[in-house]
Amino acid sequence: MSAPAYVVRGLGASLGGSPILHGIDLELRAAAWTSIVGPNGAGKSTLLRAIAGLLPCSGRVELLGRELHDWPRQERARALSWLGQNQVAADDLTVYDVAMLGRLPHQGWLAPASRADQVAVERALRQTQAWDWRERALGELSGGERQRVLLARALAVEAQVLLMDEPLANLDPPHQADWLLLVRELVAAGRSVVSVLHEISIALHADELVVMRQGRIAHHGACNEVAPQRALEQVFEHRIAIHALAGQWVALPVTSIT
Amino acid sequence: MKRLLSLLLCCSAMLASALTLPDDRGRPVNLPKSPQRIVSILPSLTEMVCQLDQCHRLVGVDRYSTWPASVNKLARVGGGLDPNIEAIVALRPDLVLAGTSSRAAERLVALGIPVLALEPKTHADVQRVLGKIGQVLEVQDAQKIWRQIDAGVSAAAQSLSPSVRQVRVYFEVNRGPYGAGEGSFIGETLARLGAKNILPASLGPFPKLNPEYIVRANPDLIMIGERNAEGLLQRPGWQNIRAVREGRVCIFPVAESDVLVRPGPRMADGARLMARCLAEKAPGAGKSEDPKGKHAGGKA
Amino acid sequence: MNLRQASLLGWGLLIVGLALAALGTCVGSAGLENLWRPLLDAGADPAERDMAWQIVTEIRLPRTLGAWAAGGLLGLAGALAQGLFRNPLADPYLLGSASGASLGVAIALAAVGGGAGMVGGSMMNGASFSMLSGSLWVRLGLTGAAFAGAVLAVMLTLALARGVGHTLRLLLAGVIVGVVLGALTSLVLLFSPESLQAMQAFMLGTTGFIGWTAWGLMFGCWCLCALVAWTLARVLDGLSLGEATAQTLGLPLAPLRAALVGTLALATGTAVAQTGLIAFVGLAAPHLVRAVVKVPHRQLMWLASLMGGVLLASADLLARWVIAPQELPVGVVTAVLGGGYLLWLMHRRSSGLHAGGLL
Repeated sequence: MSAPAYVVRGLGASLGGSPILHGIDLELRAAAWTSIVGPNGAGKSTLLRAIAGLLPCSGRVELLGRELHDWPRQERARALSWLGQNQVAADDLTVYDVAMLGRLPHQGWLAPASRADQVAVERALRQTQAWDWRERALGELSGGERQRVLLARALAVEAQVLLMDEPLANLDPPHQADWLLLVRELVAAGRSVVSVLHEISIALHADELVVMRQGRIAHHGACNEVAPQRALEQVFEHRIAIHALAGQWVALPVTSIT
Repeated sequence: MKRLLSLLLCCSAMLASALTLPDDRGRPVNLPKSPQRIVSILPSLTEMVCQLDQCHRLVGVDRYSTWPASVNKLARVGGGLDPNIEAIVALRPDLVLAGTSSRAAERLVALGIPVLALEPKTHADVQRVLGKIGQVLEVQDAQKIWRQIDAGVSAAAQSLSPSVRQVRVYFEVNRGPYGAGEGSFIGETLARLGAKNILPASLGPFPKLNPEYIVRANPDLIMIGERNAEGLLQRPGWQNIRAVREGRVCIFPVAESDVLVRPGPRMADGARLMARCLAEKAPGAGKSEDPKGKHAGGKA
Repeated sequence: MNLRQASLLGWGLLIVGLALAALGTCVGSAGLENLWRPLLDAGADPAERDMAWQIVTEIRLPRTLGAWAAGGLLGLAGALAQGLFRNPLADPYLLGSASGASLGVAIALAAVGGGAGMVGGSMMNGASFSMLSGSLWVRLGLTGAAFAGAVLAVMLTLALARGVGHTLRLLLAGVIVGVVLGALTSLVLLFSPESLQAMQAFMLGTTGFIGWTAWGLMFGCWCLCALVAWTLARVLDGLSLGEATAQTLGLPLAPLRAALVGTLALATGTAVAQTGLIAFVGLAAPHLVRAVVKVPHRQLMWLASLMGGVLLASADLLARWVIAPQELPVGVVTAVLGGGYLLWLMHRRSSGLHAGGLL
């Protein structure tokens, strides 16, 4: 087995004084897609931000075998790509410029874009079907189109590990399916993807499932095994039920009172 | 019967000293008798009251009234624009002297205190306001003070040799630069001293100028207060002005500039200060007979 | 395509700026008055020629170029402030530099006046102001006091925000410092009312006292700030993606913000010290640029500088011309010009087409 993408020991984190994560121990496989699921307030986004190095936290986080804070800043930026929830104020930049910002970890500030940069940006934009409108300004796009451009920006980093928080925001079902295919390609190419999704049916397509409740890991296992699925139903207090349908797992809300 | 008669006499005496006169806001001010407890919140009015020898009737002044020295012992009631209403009322005045721009007037009148709003801006104003205050304070011949001021200004003018006349003067009042035009009281004093003002009356009393205008006008003499004199000689293009080249710049220390910019009973002192400046620094000076030397002007 | 439009705008603004500079040498205390005629006419009276030369080269030219330079500084600072705070309503005075400069000038005016409005005795101790008279404030002169005040205010903001860690805290600290120092300025003026008129002249802005030295200072400062801004342009773009994303892209946020804050302080301090408080140029210049062409920061900073320069130079020209030989305060004219143009743009947009963008 290859080295894990992430090894987390005893991670604790607080937001605004109140503790959110308590003693998390986790190993995330490399070259796999791991989905973090759980009810609202379980600490999923906080966990993702903590392992991205965006939050001060206690405990130990190792990225690709090295302690997170031992990585030099630029090298870590090349190894780890983050797609967060939308905080963008870049309405004047063109789609191409936004995607090119993803190459910042590979560029000096003053250097013009190299051939490698241009190739990477083009590939990323084509992967999200945004290449045709690369000259349009970000402010002119709809929500879904914008999200695809931001995704392209995250892809352009060509990082070994991708962390994505709610990457499907504003995407319609065909584009959600495109995203699934994209993640499959990335994993097949050896990248590691960790996502936080509230669309559980999509999350169930992942290789591994991390089920969280109240700041702790309730279960961690392969997606198509029974135990993680039962754990998932349990953290949602059996308000959802997981069924097999047309070769996929789907989570349906339980509406009848039994 | 005698009691009734004396009562009638008292009433008529009171009625006789009752006074109604309009102030500078145009409102009539009703004074049942000559005020004995006066609060003044405009420095020029304070000076006028004291000049009329009625300083003892003052019970309170604003923080900017500093002359004569005896008023410094009186209670302070804030400034002209931000008076302390409570402090004024606590002094139980029967008249308040204020400027026309004071906001206190309405408040005090509503509290039952008569307010006389006067603001002298020109020589004619000073004469008129002196008369009004004299009338209110029942001082005989308040115009004597005006005559003294007038005589003082004329004497200052006469002390200057004729060669000093026709000097072209620029008086800077404030940074901006704001100059004193012919229409202002400073301009009037300069005119009486025989000097010519580079700012014509058409520009108004205190216009805010383009510094280039002063360079073009090329005055022979510049008068300025110490407060505003910083950087004067370094202003771009000003080294070409005759006054600057020949060192004919009178920089009045702070105490003197206060006298110069206040239209009040010390205008004669102001005229003397300007005359001294002209005598010392005007082109063609050195032939004057001003014996006063370096002293600042004394009381009228 | 956008870049082509951007370079067209840039050249256009440069040409307009030069035209304004040329026009500026013809507008003076007598309104529009072409002084080049006596200069170019060989038969003219030499004294008149000398005077015309002096007026044009020592007064009008440095003043017009000074307005251009100050506008450039303010426009650049506005673009940087809007990038730093990721807020289109940010202006370069947000860190408190304007209030600091005002307080510096108020103290300098009061100190030179010897606190004549203060009474030795019953109120505050009159000695406190006279102590300042001989001191540093007087030797610095007004421009020095304004610059020192601006820089000290920004340092106070940094101290209050406990460093540059958090942008929102920085913004809040800047606003607080601005309000508090403004109140202190009013207090100082209360005890020194003779300074009120001079203070107002400073607050509304004037280019009347700009000579070649002042222009040199402003131009030098602009070159330095433009260099910093050009280096940080890509970083500002990255910052616009959000702070979390910028951090994961490997951008060193704290040193960056420190450099931006320092540049803002330098640029606004220099401009305010020489011309007084000129409102609106820093806020409006980047918006006016964005209304014409949408560009990333690398082009935005040049265009915002040029636009700010043109805005201030034209306002200065009008201020000198309209009621010559009297002068309108430049700050009033910039507000009317810039504000009026923005209003017109908004009206056109809202009754028109664009869905996205600010306006």
